[in-house]
Amino acid sequence: MTRYKVSVAVFFVLIATIGCSSTNSDVSALPSGEYETRVYEVFGMGCPGCHGGVEKLIAKIPDVEKAEANWQDKQVAVVIPAGAQLDDEQVWDAVRRSNFTPGERIK
Amino acid sequence: MKKFFCCAIVVCAVSGVFLSSASASGISIDAGLTPAEDRWIVRTQARYMKRKDDPTHMGREMTTYAFPTVVAYGVRPDFTLLVKQAVMHQDSAMGGSRNKTTGLADLFILGKYKIYRRNTSEYIFGTAATLGMEFPTGAETFTSNTWDLVPGLYASWRSGPWASDLGVSYAWNGFADRGRNNINPGNEFSLDWALAYQFSVGTDARTSIAPVLEVSYKNISPDQRYGHDVSNTGESVLYISPGIKFTKSSFILEGLLQIPVWQDQKGSLLERGAGVIVGVRFMF
Repeated sequence: MTRYKVSVAVFFVLIATIGCSSTNSDVSALPSGEYETRVYEVFGMGCPGCHGGVEKLIAKIPDVEKAEANWQDKQVAVVIPAGAQLDDEQVWDAVRRSNFTPGERIK
Repeated sequence: MKKFFCCAIVVCAVSGVFLSSASASGISIDAGLTPAEDRWIVRTQARYMKRKDDPTHMGREMTTYAFPTVVAYGVRPDFTLLVKQAVMHQDSAMGGSRNKTTGLADLFILGKYKIYRRNTSEYIFGTAATLGMEFPTGAETFTSNTWDLVPGLYASWRSGPWASDLGVSYAWNGFADRGRNNINPGNEFSLDWALAYQFSVGTDARTSIAPVLEVSYKNISPDQRYGHDVSNTGESVLYISPGIKFTKSSFILEGLLQIPVWQDQKGSLLERGAGVIVGVRFMF
């Protein structure tokens, strides 16, 4: 049983280390001239961990460089190369597939 | 001045039961909400519970450790598939002798279906139904020896810093077969409610800490053999469980203390002591 306890404790420490070392995406770090940022209103993100699902689905849209959601502001920022074509409906579709509700495009 | 934001977090806990043949059950975080499509969630816990206060005065005690791991996947926005497997360890004592057993619990597979979801700028509300099946794959000490059907119904509500979850489930043990020695484990009814209030940590919107309070009621009917109750089986218990949850982006650390404030044990069943649950959750 001691072996199991030690194994579980090591597992938890490892998971905690991996989890706490994860870094958030930083949209503002991208060169502004080469990229364009669009901001969309999203309803349904009720917690800090809610951002990942919608970011993952939006990031799969062609030409999307990255997406960063903020549950407190109820917004998601989508970064695309300057001049790229992005249909807002693609973003709204990803939002709905995340079980959230689209609002307005703010920027 | 820093503004503290609140986000609801509901810790799963519930009546994590450590009967020899029953796996832990309870509210899952956001029980009434389904995750995004293509979302993976891995959750593992360490659970401890002790049974004591032997009414027969034979000095019986039982300590159980359970290590369940749940893997969930958002197949579609309205459907989530969950698989749970636990490693169990039980330490039983009677008189001067001790018996220690380690093994796997029964495999549990669950489907979660979104019934209703409403997202507004003021609140979030969702309901979901679940249907699960427990397979008699576990070790001898920890298996129910039966195919068990487990339907459930859950609701979640979020508004600002507050969150609440309510869930009810029923484990129909041996719904399609009979157990070992023609004994079917008693069916299990669970009712769970949780309330949480979340504070942001610093200026990072993705880091928070939330105190949680859960109230759980569980009723396990007596085991049945040829339609008759088996003596010294069956129980009811009410838990009040304070806990805490720390969220850092896609990583969550949680802990819960389960306090049995009321219980009714049939016959010579041991009384439940307080239980402890600690867990981690990783989403990607």
